[in-house]
Amino acid sequence: MKGVVLDKKVVALLGERFGVEEFPDDVPPLLDGTRHFELARALKDEIGYRLYGFCVASHWLETTPKKGGDPDPEHYEVATGLRAPGKRSTLAVWRVRLSMDEEIESLVPLFAGADWQEREQYDLVGVRFANHPDLRRLMMPEDWEGHPLRKDYAIETACPPWR
Amino acid sequence: MALAVEIPDRVDPYLDIDEYEPEADLMVLNLGPQHPSTHGVFHVKLFLDGEIIIKAVPYAGYLHRGVEKLCEKLMFTQITPIVDKNDYVSPMMNEQAINMAFEALLGVEVPRRARYVRTIEAELQRIASHLLWLGTFGMDLGGALGGGATIFMHCFRERESILDLFEEVTGCRFHYNTHTIGGNRHDITPGWADHVKQALDVIDQRIPEYESLMTGNRIFVERTRGVGVLKAELAMELGITGPMLRAAGVSHDLRRHAPYHAYDEIKVKVQTEKAGDSLARTLVRIREMSESSRIVRELIDNVPEGPICGHKPIKIATQERAQSGQAYACLESPRGELGTYVIGGGANKGASPYRLKIRPPSLHAVSCLPYVLPGHTVSDAVTILGSTDPIIGEVDR
Repeated sequence: MKGVVLDKKVVALLGERFGVEEFPDDVPPLLDGTRHFELARALKDEIGYRLYGFCVASHWLETTPKKGGDPDPEHYEVATGLRAPGKRSTLAVWRVRLSMDEEIESLVPLFAGADWQEREQYDLVGVRFANHPDLRRLMMPEDWEGHPLRKDYAIETACPPWR
Repeated sequence: MALAVEIPDRVDPYLDIDEYEPEADLMVLNLGPQHPSTHGVFHVKLFLDGEIIIKAVPYAGYLHRGVEKLCEKLMFTQITPIVDKNDYVSPMMNEQAINMAFEALLGVEVPRRARYVRTIEAELQRIASHLLWLGTFGMDLGGALGGGATIFMHCFRERESILDLFEEVTGCRFHYNTHTIGGNRHDITPGWADHVKQALDVIDQRIPEYESLMTGNRIFVERTRGVGVLKAELAMELGITGPMLRAAGVSHDLRRHAPYHAYDEIKVKVQTEKAGDSLARTLVRIREMSESSRIVRELIDNVPEGPICGHKPIKIATQERAQSGQAYACLESPRGELGTYVIGGGANKGASPYRLKIRPPSLHAVSCLPYVLPGHTVSDAVTILGSTDPIIGEVDR
């Protein structure tokens, strides 16, 4: 992806053990969603990516290609970043594609810092994290309806006054 | 002091309070959301057994302003003044972080002169931010420092001189809006270098005074030594960066270990401490001020000639477009790794980001509270919260 160069060890790990074939220049490599947790554990225990980076979820509406063909259904994408601290610090980033009813494995058992980041992404985008110990809203009030960062959530949506 | 309650090595933040000794007479204390020591509107629910905290539950979101949603409607060139207000103690860092991500996404080069000026501004901002933290931390500890507001007033006096320097260059004392995609809007003025050196002469003279005012004060040392110890391994798992991680003994500083701006042309000395307590965080921050001052002095006379912005001036807001792609860029803000993740191809035919996410260092810093607070008394809770240097505008966005 732009601004981040993956370390050779990460590329080797992703390619050999996790079956990632494409490493595009402009987006992070796409990983099979069921192996998300396994990859994070391998990065943490084997190559030293021990510093939690970030979790970014995005919502994509259904699109139809202009040239015809099958439409791309509505889905989520979750990008995760882990950092190797210290000398020549590098970042490992990958993304996972989820359909609207799929859940992604939470990284909280490995990285305590994933707790708030994942709560924020659940709150704002609506992605559900399996095995998260405390999946509550973080930013919005508990009784808020909808997830504001979804693309079908209009910025003018009427909201009840704050309690 | 021996604690009445046994606290395990690794605290369980999800402790079920109903299963904790049903006979114990527990008390719930709400620290915040409106409390001077919470540095903003931040709420921590403390469960107390006697005077000892056994569980802490932080609540964020009181200052949520929907910045990320707003950025999806604005164009790349319009976002800088909005994110200025996230970390309202060091606006320079917000501007630089967001523009670094846009430059990565759009593939814009920054000229060498702009990189030097950005580095100098960043280091001056770091001194100002740490000064403000030191002053407010002294206020948190209250009477321990000879009447509370003494160090606060001293620190603000020096911070003023740095704001004067920024005003000279950008015209604003705060919320500068001076960075743009590809460089800076405002070039440094002739004679500014001399003013910077004059201000730094005073600050360099005063930093040892602050250090002795804090570490030479027995009450301050007693109230911070061994209070709020955060171990290195837990700190990394929590995603904590910056002075808090360095105070726990991890030598990790993006300026040194993943250089950006002009940091690859100079050598930054990473300040570390081993103890990981509130005293260590204070020492790390005070020493970082001296180090920042040294960096500015090294660069200020060697600013290379050339353009300050490598990009054609922005006349219309839709000038910059990205149809696709994703970028991440980060820098070392006074609180740690301030990163921006941006996805291109949004509204206004690609002139807006599709999704923009800010990785705030303060969010991770305050998320350590459920792990650190149990076992301490209520008075220590204020010390620990202050020592994490939380900026709630950045936590909530």
